Amino acid sequence: MELYQKTAAELSAMLKNKEISSAELTKAAFARTAAVEDEVGAYITLTEEKALADAAAIDAKIAAGEELSPLAGVPISVKDNICTKGIRTTCASKMLENFKPPYDATVMDKLYAAGLIMTGKTNLDEFAMGSSCENSALQKTRNPHNLDHVTGGSSGGAAASVAAGEVSIAVGSDTGGSIRQPASFCGVVGMKPTYGTVSRYGLIAFASSLDQIGPFGRCVADAAMLADVLRGYDKMDSTSYPRAYDSLTAGMCADVKGMKIGLPKEYFGEGISEEVSKAVLAAAETYRQLGAEVVEISLPLAKYALPVYYILSSAEASSNLARFDGVKYGYRAESFDGIIDLYVKSRSEGFGPEVQRRIMLGTYVLSSGYYDAYYKKARAAQRAIRADYAKAFEQVDVILTPVAPTTAYKAGEKTSDPLQMYMGDICTVSVNIAGLPAMVQPCGFDSNQLPIGMQLIGPRFGEQKLVNAGLAFEQASGLCNIVAR
Amino acid sequence: MAITRENVEYIANLARLDPKGEGFDKIAEDMQGIVSMVDQLQELELGDITDVIDTERKNAMREDVPIPSYDKEEILANAPSVECGGVSVPRVVE
Repeated sequence: MELYQKTAAELSAMLKNKEISSAELTKAAFARTAAVEDEVGAYITLTEEKALADAAAIDAKIAAGEELSPLAGVPISVKDNICTKGIRTTCASKMLENFKPPYDATVMDKLYAAGLIMTGKTNLDEFAMGSSCENSALQKTRNPHNLDHVTGGSSGGAAASVAAGEVSIAVGSDTGGSIRQPASFCGVVGMKPTYGTVSRYGLIAFASSLDQIGPFGRCVADAAMLADVLRGYDKMDSTSYPRAYDSLTAGMCADVKGMKIGLPKEYFGEGISEEVSKAVLAAAETYRQLGAEVVEISLPLAKYALPVYYILSSAEASSNLARFDGVKYGYRAESFDGIIDLYVKSRSEGFGPEVQRRIMLGTYVLSSGYYDAYYKKARAAQRAIRADYAKAFEQVDVILTPVAPTTAYKAGEKTSDPLQMYMGDICTVSVNIAGLPAMVQPCGFDSNQLPIGMQLIGPRFGEQKLVNAGLAFEQASGLCNIVAR
Repeated sequence: MAITRENVEYIANLARLDPKGEGFDKIAEDMQGIVSMVDQLQELELGDITDVIDTERKNAMREDVPIPSYDKEEILANAPSVECGGVSVPRVVE
């Protein structure tokens, strides 16, 4: 078995046992990247020089017998909407093509403190707005399982980097499914933590009340180990929850006997492909055989999640992206006539079509005369959706659903119709609306050998339940560490 | 709700965007599709639930302690146009 086929959990053990050095591991990661990156295109920026220096520093610490975190020395990719000091952070937008942040995001401080080795910055839909990674203004990323198909999005580069063996773990962000849907399309594990558990300081904002940073890995243990590094209170993020977290890795237990797993009937009906439904229901059967109690539940407001999501996320995006005006940083138009024209031209030339659409929709739902009918109504519906979930979690421990209506579709298939693209988010957006944690992992393959994912949704701060249920399925099915190409 | 050309022009002005380059009609058509989708929400009866302030949450405050600021040169390095140690823009006051 080659090094690139190993999970982060395995690499961590090899480093601990001194079977390999971080420098060797990092060189191997870049060698693998050189071999597949022309086809896959996961990265916008590679940071090889810094990575090799960081790896050498970790090796010196290991040699000196320092006590290090379990993932110290393991290479990791980072989504390019997370600020990295002095390293280009583009959001895959012409607007920030040359932006070098003067500071590191809190999650970067945490990764560096834990000794992880950043290999580079991965591609995304521009400003994380999209579900296929095709909205990137800078780079084309292809699904490592079949290059004609999309990776999903917005964290398409992150998912592809893990699926192609370039790294074993990655950091992404999830506003309406941006970690979970690409994880599903690329056959890897992805977790969207409870809102407020991972600091958003230095994550370039899309919709602040929905955005959450989270881990990708090759297996459940990888995601749990990385979540342990990422989680924690941060005074720099006023929405960060002031509490301590137990280690998910230490709490791992693959036992689901007596666990109650809910199957919401609204998630298995019209619009979900038969292959996807079948695979997720087969996973439910596996849980039954493992001793879990699987019960049908109802989330009656599920169909309203999509309109609520597109109203709230676009409203917040239109406010957050007002800061990009061609003045203090980012793209400025070359010619303009006065200050207003400078704003208009810089924004119209710097933002791509999807970002402009979302800003327009957000401005519309917040504008005078429409605010009550759209924004206010969506906020009220958000409360109702939260109550729906709270009621469901009185009956069950976790909820099992599909991740997306289909497996990875062909590139270009949905780019001309934004609404078609939005419909693909139907299974994931309600989790962000309710602020809950959810984890995605592979549960099968379709007739074209493309991965099918399943989603486990937990109650607030219920990540341990997700990890344990995920681990039980992973061990029973053997579906993990799927490296393509 | 129907999206008219006037709506699009009005919103674009508020958002400081000029989507004419991409074709106004296409923008209006896309907006109409999206607005029709979000209009589904109007059929939802919510009864007593309103958009009131969440009473279980409180504002997160922190101590007002001075910390070092970022280096001015580093900040200005990202500015598109700099003059005399500041960001420069076209004349605003006539």
